[in-house]
Amino acid sequence: MKKKLVAVLMTAAMAASLAACGAKTETPAQNTDNTVTEQTTGDKTEEQTGTDVVINQGSDDAIANLVAATEGTVDLTLWCSELESYQNTMKELAEEFKTTYPDVDFNITIGAQSESTCKDEILKDVEAAADVFVFADDQLNELVQAGALQAVTTTYTFDPIVANGAGAVNAASLNGVCYAYPLTASNGYFLIYDKSLLSEEDVSSWENLVAACEAQGKKCGMDFANGWYLYGFFSGAGNVATLAEDGVNNVCDWNNESGLAVAQAVTNLCASDAVISIGDADARAQAKDGDLIAYVDGTWAIEDFTAAYGDNLACVKLPTFNVNGAPVQQGSFAGYKLVGVNSYSDNIGWSMLLAEFITNEAAQLKIGTNTQEGPANINAASQISSPALSALGAQSAYADLQRVGGSYWTPAGTLGQTLYEGTDDVQKALDDAVAGILAPQ
Amino acid sequence: MKRFFKALGKYFADFGTAVSKGDIWVKLSLFIMGMGYIGRGQVIKGLLVTALEAGFALFTIKISWPYITKLSTLGTVQREEVFDPLTMSKTVNDYDNSLLILLMGVLGIVIIAAFIFIYIANIKAAFRTMLLKKEGKHLNNFREDLRELVNDKFHITLLSLPALGVVFMCILPIIFMVCIAFTNYDAAHQPPSQLFSWVGWKNFITLFANKQGSTFGYAFAKILIWTLIWAALATVTTYIGGILLAMLINHQDTKLKKMWRTLFVITIAIPQFVTLLLISKMFGNYGIVNGILQRMHIISFLQNLGWISTSYVPFMTSSGLTHVMIILINIWVGVPYQMLIATGILMNIPSDQLESARIDGANKFQIFWKITMPYMLFITGPSLVTSFIGNINNFNVIYLLTGDFVTSDGSLAAANAKDVDLLITWLFKITSESVTKQYYMASVIGIIVFIICATLTLVTYSRMIKGDNEEVFQ
Repeated sequence: MKKKLVAVLMTAAMAASLAACGAKTETPAQNTDNTVTEQTTGDKTEEQTGTDVVINQGSDDAIANLVAATEGTVDLTLWCSELESYQNTMKELAEEFKTTYPDVDFNITIGAQSESTCKDEILKDVEAAADVFVFADDQLNELVQAGALQAVTTTYTFDPIVANGAGAVNAASLNGVCYAYPLTASNGYFLIYDKSLLSEEDVSSWENLVAACEAQGKKCGMDFANGWYLYGFFSGAGNVATLAEDGVNNVCDWNNESGLAVAQAVTNLCASDAVISIGDADARAQAKDGDLIAYVDGTWAIEDFTAAYGDNLACVKLPTFNVNGAPVQQGSFAGYKLVGVNSYSDNIGWSMLLAEFITNEAAQLKIGTNTQEGPANINAASQISSPALSALGAQSAYADLQRVGGSYWTPAGTLGQTLYEGTDDVQKALDDAVAGILAPQ
Repeated sequence: MKRFFKALGKYFADFGTAVSKGDIWVKLSLFIMGMGYIGRGQVIKGLLVTALEAGFALFTIKISWPYITKLSTLGTVQREEVFDPLTMSKTVNDYDNSLLILLMGVLGIVIIAAFIFIYIANIKAAFRTMLLKKEGKHLNNFREDLRELVNDKFHITLLSLPALGVVFMCILPIIFMVCIAFTNYDAAHQPPSQLFSWVGWKNFITLFANKQGSTFGYAFAKILIWTLIWAALATVTTYIGGILLAMLINHQDTKLKKMWRTLFVITIAIPQFVTLLLISKMFGNYGIVNGILQRMHIISFLQNLGWISTSYVPFMTSSGLTHVMIILINIWVGVPYQMLIATGILMNIPSDQLESARIDGANKFQIFWKITMPYMLFITGPSLVTSFIGNINNFNVIYLLTGDFVTSDGSLAAANAKDVDLLITWLFKITSESVTKQYYMASVIGIIVFIICATLTLVTYSRMIKGDNEEVFQ
């Protein structure tokens, strides 16, 4: 019932803000193509009639109010990736932010916190966590559930819905409320290969790829024992693994007939010695040795694989694989990096402005150029191109938002390991995995 | 047990006597603690005690009492906030934080208990002072009291700080952690935004009963068995290995004794986690060992035999083989320590015993089994128990070696466990690496580990010190 009350309060706040802004600015309700399965954080009676995300445009008066109301130094902490390129770019942006509001004295601390584990660090002690932080979109649900994210009901300098791609806005939203500012749109995976050894024909399907590798005595690989990558095979064939309506438990049908065919296909594929299941770090070492000539990975691995393949590095969407004799396009998870504002921040207003500032078009362009990542901002994205980003773009048609509950990962990883090693009873492996994935939390 | 209740009875009887037979000053000190001293002229002491009472009252009423009253529900008001887009600020209601309520509640209760203890002791002391005065004996002034603290009562001076430390650093957190086991504190009930509440014995039932949809019971049984097997094997293998190595090095025919000893001590000098991570990489699926095996065509030989289906030997990724590997690797890591200990003891075996055995015609094995081993066991018995307990909680070896291990047991996976987990690494995974963060289950497992360790220690130690073992050994 408490949740309901919160929802009512939220709605009231939104209504109030609508009324407040209505007089000055016409609020265009931007509709986004909301294809995300609807999730609710708890109370099922809380029916959301419209899933369209709406962000109101605040007036400049609000910023003036905020500047006038601010006394003394504003302490802000910003957490972003520990990569040097990220840290440096964020430092530059923080300096620019300070010059944008010259009347206020800022003390901005930038902390190194990997996006992939950001949630864990924040939930340890949300009151002591950073005011503004960069996180991967799959953590959105849990951060919202823990009440750690300040809802983005109003923005003051630009409209994230217009500026960013619809997919990014969806990834940042839950139940029609936007909770974060989209930053990058390249948290996905694709095939990296050595184009001096493999032709485009070779990388179009796993079967061709395996045959080409076998012929050359080389290897191709993927981290099969990792649910993040394994998902693509099943989603490609139309099988489902996603969050249930309660937002905590999972829905999964991998053990049905089509899932069985997929699992069989994966086992057949892995039966070849040319296919190896290998983790990120090992893969880079093997690529440098020259053994591994094709690997499924993301933008973060490009630098290392460039060191291995040199100018022959090429990226392409994931290959197809044969299910019951027919080629099926392998799917994938598409991920976004988002910027969130801690709802426990002491300087909520300034935190929101800083979050806006580091996600606006100019900032995203800068981050994209410096870190090889693809911006979520449409204009910024059009100004950056790289083989990895175009491969991601081609794959995006087959990619799903990563929305799975906590009990997904271990059983899915186990399933991948089992399929890779080969098993006599594929159906049992699938049943076990699905039972684990569906295990109530 | 009887003696305990007798002592407890006397404790309160003494208090009763003090109250009933005490004069006006003793009775006044029931309300103002210092009065018993002030009435006899010990003004500074009286003021200090009164200040303590006032401090306690202030702390309890102002700080801890609001939390203690909410302890039964762990809070009912959830956080709600309203953001005002015009001022860019927000208003938040006066919400409850379950974690703070539990922490401050426990702290408050411990402090109240400590105060009651001091309160009773104070009345008794006031009564004693009254009796002393009545008998016309000397009463200490403040300076004399202080001097006494560094002379006659020096043990109190020395022990008070450690005792406080034990209460606040050990007992308080333990009570707090035990309490967590009876709540539903997890990722879905995470303060400060969410509340958690008491659930009684539910979590213990989850751990022991194999219910529909929960595999904790299964995982617990499996992991407990492996934990005990591991602890026993790890302790025995390193112990025997250490003794044998020490005897080998001490053997009269061994040359360069000091060099050998130094080499093995160097393995101790290298941080354990470096060694472990390196070894786990070496034996990885694409590590150096598998690389060598492949180039020697041993892999294809094993494949032809049908022993392995993969293009590598899954040293660290298959159940069974990994268990064996862990124990073997642990021998390498643990033997040097035992060798050092054994070296010291072996040198101290009374040589007359060895000599007389030799004269009696005992061969080397008989000497080893009848004299050396009993002597070693007698000396190192307690440390053997400690190392067994240490191995039950040997987080490093297991966690660092099995990072790449993926379980193929769906039921274990559903409980966030792996075949090679110990209870302690399982506990760590539940709290730190799982998404659901079932802190309550971790707490339950922690309690169980404590019970196992405490029972084993008590039983073995009490058996060891039973009777006069000194003579038994002879």
